Amino acid sequence: MPKEFRILTGDIMNLDEIDLAILDSLKKDARKSFRSIARSLKVSPDTISKRYERLREQGIIVGSTVVINPSKIGYSFITRFGINVKPAYASQVLEKIIQIPNVIVASKLVGSHDIIAISVIKNFKHLCELRNSILEMPYVEKVELGMWIETMELCPYYFLI
Amino acid sequence: MKEIKLDEIDIKLIRTLQNDARTSLKEVARECNVSIDTIKNRYNILKKIGVIRGSTIVLNPKEIGQGNLVFFGIQIMHHYSDSVINLVKKIPGMYVVTKAIGRYDIEAIAILDNIEKIGATKNIIGDFQQVKNVDVDILVDKPLLCPRNFEF
Repeated sequence: MPKEFRILTGDIMNLDEIDLAILDSLKKDARKSFRSIARSLKVSPDTISKRYERLREQGIIVGSTVVINPSKIGYSFITRFGINVKPAYASQVLEKIIQIPNVIVASKLVGSHDIIAISVIKNFKHLCELRNSILEMPYVEKVELGMWIETMELCPYYFLI
Repeated sequence: MKEIKLDEIDIKLIRTLQNDARTSLKEVARECNVSIDTIKNRYNILKKIGVIRGSTIVLNPKEIGQGNLVFFGIQIMHHYSDSVINLVKKIPGMYVVTKAIGRYDIEAIAILDNIEKIGATKNIIGDFQQVKNVDVDILVDKPLLCPRNFEF
């Protein structure tokens, strides 16, 4: 986890050392038992479980998930789509894009494109189909793509892939 | 790349944990109507062969005051991608750096606090000798993550 993350977290949310340690620990392993987190922080497991519930209620922790390695389940590479849409229709298109199977991240953009979508890809045919299905959506004007090779993940869990 | 065949139980186990990584294996076993040992065994195998790489919590970037996610599309002079990648990945805030085929030769995503840092980072990349052009796209709102979109 980048250093900046922790500083910002503490400053803005008034989270204390224990909260930050819980976030840090669960970010690396969401299945870690509260008991073992408690042991390393020298507090009671009950404290950890209460803090965890509070962090969830406050919406700081949105959820938890396992990280899958796409190359082990038949995907060959990742592709980024840069999508240009008719002005003012970005939200509408984004909602459809996020529902396409295999798209793992999507967001509105300010810059040379209006929407970015990152997708795991099985093979070249699959890539063409995906590109076409985006192009066929109403209000989509242009789709540019970048196929990712030799990707270095400096923060491996960010995209949850 | 070698493909691993997953059966119904494996997929159910993965799907359940994707929805909530803290679900107890006991509960998964009950839902799948198999013994807890079967599920424990499957879970350990999936981890060992690397289908499950780990688990993590998803934080709300707005709540924790994280900066902006920024996409950099970098065009370089031929044959220099390795040296440029090595420089780019050292820039603070970088999350993902990759070689790419398409309009850009290198694509990178960073998390940066403010617009000044975005400008400064663009300049750092642009200053590398072999870089021809840098395009910047800033992600607005919260990016939508859909890790459950995998098809098995």
